[in-house]
Amino acid sequence: MVRILVVEDSSAMRSYIRAALEEAPPDSSDAPLPSELEIVEAASGFDALRLLPRGSYGLVITDINMPDINGLELIKFVRDSEHLRSVPVLIVSTQSGERDRERGLALGADRFLAKPFTPEALRDAVSKSLASPRGAARSGGDG
Amino acid sequence: MADAQDRAREEFFSEAQEIVEGLGRDLLGLDEGQRTGRVDAELVNDLFRAVHTLKGLAGLFGANRMSTLSHELEGLLDDMRLGRVELTPTVLDLLFRSAELYDRILQNEKEGRDQAMPEVDDLIRELHRGKGGAPPPSPIGHYELDPGLLAVLTEYEEHRLRTNIAQGLTLFRLRVQFQLATIDQALDDLKAAAKPHGEIITYLPTGAGADADSIELDILMACKLTGAELEVALALNGVAVEEVARRPVAAVSSSPVPFDRGATAEGAAGTRVRDGSEARRREALDVASLLPPQMVQREAGGAGPKVPLDVASIRSVAQTVRVDIQKLDRLMNIVGELAIVKSSLTRLSDRLRAAHISRELSSDLHRLQRTFDRHLESMQKGILEVRMVPLGQVFDKLARVVRQISRDADKHVNLVITGAETEVDKLIVEELSDPLMHMMRNAIDHGIESRSAREAVGKPAMGTIALNAFQKGNHVVIEIEDDGGGIDTDRLLDAAVRRGVLAADEARTSSRREVLNLVFIPGMTTKSDVSELSGRGVGMDVVKTNISKLGGVIDLGSERGIGTKVTITLPITLAIISALLVDVAGRTFALPLANVQEAIVLEPDAVRRIDDREVVTLRGTTLPLCFLGQLFELDGSAVVGASPGGAGAGHAVTKRNGKRFVVVVSVGSRKLGLVVDTLIGEQDVVIKALGASLKSVRGFAGATELGDQRIGLVLDAPALLEELSTSPRDARQASEARDG
Amino acid sequence: MANLVRRPGAGLRRVRQQDRGPLVEYLAFALAGEPYAAPVSLVREILKPPPLTPVPRAPRSVLGIVSVRGQLVTVIDLRRRLRLAEAQPTRRARILLVDGEAGETLGLFVDEVLAVYRLADGEVEAAATALGNEVAPYIAGIARPGAARMAIAAPLGAGEAAKKRATMASAPAEEGGVVILLDLRAVLA
Repeated sequence: MVRILVVEDSSAMRSYIRAALEEAPPDSSDAPLPSELEIVEAASGFDALRLLPRGSYGLVITDINMPDINGLELIKFVRDSEHLRSVPVLIVSTQSGERDRERGLALGADRFLAKPFTPEALRDAVSKSLASPRGAARSGGDG
Repeated sequence: MADAQDRAREEFFSEAQEIVEGLGRDLLGLDEGQRTGRVDAELVNDLFRAVHTLKGLAGLFGANRMSTLSHELEGLLDDMRLGRVELTPTVLDLLFRSAELYDRILQNEKEGRDQAMPEVDDLIRELHRGKGGAPPPSPIGHYELDPGLLAVLTEYEEHRLRTNIAQGLTLFRLRVQFQLATIDQALDDLKAAAKPHGEIITYLPTGAGADADSIELDILMACKLTGAELEVALALNGVAVEEVARRPVAAVSSSPVPFDRGATAEGAAGTRVRDGSEARRREALDVASLLPPQMVQREAGGAGPKVPLDVASIRSVAQTVRVDIQKLDRLMNIVGELAIVKSSLTRLSDRLRAAHISRELSSDLHRLQRTFDRHLESMQKGILEVRMVPLGQVFDKLARVVRQISRDADKHVNLVITGAETEVDKLIVEELSDPLMHMMRNAIDHGIESRSAREAVGKPAMGTIALNAFQKGNHVVIEIEDDGGGIDTDRLLDAAVRRGVLAADEARTSSRREVLNLVFIPGMTTKSDVSELSGRGVGMDVVKTNISKLGGVIDLGSERGIGTKVTITLPITLAIISALLVDVAGRTFALPLANVQEAIVLEPDAVRRIDDREVVTLRGTTLPLCFLGQLFELDGSAVVGASPGGAGAGHAVTKRNGKRFVVVVSVGSRKLGLVVDTLIGEQDVVIKALGASLKSVRGFAGATELGDQRIGLVLDAPALLEELSTSPRDARQASEARDG
Repeated sequence: MANLVRRPGAGLRRVRQQDRGPLVEYLAFALAGEPYAAPVSLVREILKPPPLTPVPRAPRSVLGIVSVRGQLVTVIDLRRRLRLAEAQPTRRARILLVDGEAGETLGLFVDEVLAVYRLADGEVEAAATALGNEVAPYIAGIARPGAARMAIAAPLGAGEAAKKRATMASAPAEEGGVVILLDLRAVLA
């Protein structure tokens, strides 16, 4: 089982992501996703900070522009934390925020997906993130 | 799957509806802000984020019209929140129209209708036209901000940081620990407590010092309060307040007029139209200036120290303009012209009164004249005020130099600056730069001991130099105090005696203060003495001369083993100095009070001749005299008024029946008695430079208008002392050679 | 000196008739009874002398300093500079404000302002050598403008009496007499 934390302040966006990941068509030729996924939603950066230390996550999907704790701060927190360092991070943000995207990647995010995206694109990005060295090590370690 | 998708779609509609309703509310707030001139930045950002979310959602759920509208609107709001576009009534109108159309688009989408909406297309076109220009350059580089903190700022947060700095607010780092269980409430409380005093730029979890149930945050806040005040304001929130130090800056240049005040409306959308890509490029460049120098340097391959790309002054922002100092001089001259008009007016008024033509008319004129005087005076004051700049301009430079020198000298020095906001005339600030720099260098090189020496005597390894400035009446006082080794007065005395500056018996009777003042004598502290005189004395004669030229005085205090303190007292404006007016052979001269020690009555019988020079004994010491009338060849040949031929006009021979006075002037430890006929009194005078054609004339620092078109020459006491320390015979010969 | 400069110059008149070139305005003023002139374009202002403050130790030709609308102006006595005979100034004395070296405004103290003449280049005769005295290095040339060339008499706009004086003082010019054109740059150097 792989647990994914979705950090998004838009509930519709969170639902969309959940739908895209949880209900992937079984016959799809998309990149394979783990058979068992648990999607955990965080509505804010603080929510994410609350949730992250309490569970073992295989992936963090985060927006950048959020009130209070922004996505960049979250990425830095994850990368600076011994416990979370190896968790892959996928940024979902708008195409126009190049500067913030660059910063996010520089801070240690693994991948960027521009909004809006199709369910296929999201699944592809998630599967690639999980297969990345960081993600693979993580999944392996968690059994 | 279908279920989940439907559910998501449903959520989309309800969230979109909620957002659009929120838009309307926020716009009303924005409208209010626009009218009252206080636009809440947070509100603009909320609007941006709302539209941003709408755009994302619309894209996901295939609502194309909404997506396109959101895209354009997002661009406009992004420009607004990043300061590229000003909020004008036109822009507001666009925003309101958008909110209204969102509602209708949403209805159409819900009902699955796909009808043409030309008004939406029109709006999209209009929005598209108004793209913002570049934001003002950032002074963020001025602050000692943790690069880790800067790296996690979003573009918007960076913009807010920049804007707050530009508005002259102070940056604080707040550290706070929250229980995760109660974080929402605690955070809301903190926000509420902070909101009246400034803006929270960002929250950064430190990741340290926290257990699983709590979290530590670094909060960057821009604030109007001082650190102590902010601490009080947030006392209930368990916050540790730390002011973010300002970084010394190399040069100061202007920053553009800020967007939110000075932007002018252009184009159909009432926004500033500029190439968006250029704006972005400038943004990108600007990032370099956000990073602390060491980071920039690393990126540049360590190619020498880099000055931050933008060096905009923190002060020269908001509602300020930059004015050429010469223009102010010209204004001052016009004031002078008005003063002449004023005196003509006075004469006219007097004549009118004397003629008894109309009592009423004459008193009316008199009243008018008084009003005119008052306004003229406040105008003169106003212009002088405009010339004032904060000493921080030169202090910032000093801080940078201190860091450099202490690195070079391998000494740890902590520079503590207070009173950087103290204002003095711009010209003084400029002229102060070199002397202050010199004294800083001395303090580090010769004042602060080596680390090992400090530790050996139980001092902290890090030396401290305090640079304090404050206003004291019509003067500004600057203190430079170090906790170094102090000046070795014994060695200083030895050197003075060896060099013949002081006789051996004089050396024994000199007061401590007199001994310390020896450092101001030229030649006392030559380079060869640098290591010998373990205080600071190198080149202090030059420093003293420079300060004297500004009408200032310099004083020195030093305790062996404890430290040295130099105190400089300067007039606030260079143009105005306090002067003692004296009369010599019917002419008025001004003596800067800074150079005047005292004035005594000349006892003709007390005058003795030593080495072809007249002297008197003043409290046991010999005071050489200078008869100004003789020096300036005024006695008996005085010429007053517009009479080039000279003979017989005006003053003939100085009256010798009355007593005369000796004005004792001092520069360093040297003194001279200037013999004058009358002491007229003290007066603040506006000093003006003599023309270039009189540059070679020695003894005058300038001239000043005494009113009624009369002019008084301002004596240059240091120059007179310098000149007269050569033997009188030499001086006379030199003077004859000049005139012959 | 007077005899030398008043020498009639028949040849010059012919040249003037043939090729006059563009006209330049000259301000004529009196120094020790002789008419001198300098280009009007170089004279910024004509002042009645305000009270002068002598500057001790200044060069002898410096009369002193005056304040002109708050600006200090060094006033040079043209008589002394040109080493002419000295005399008490009269009420007709004026100060001409001119631009000196390095942007400094200087005042030139003259006995009296006479008139403005319009002269063509061709009317200016290089005559420094002919004069052959101490004034020579400061002279740009001489001219015989005559009354017809007078653009303004008594340029200060004074009353009739002043105008009459101006005409009298410039009597030599009316007779085809000589006006000495000063080289202000040399004078001020």
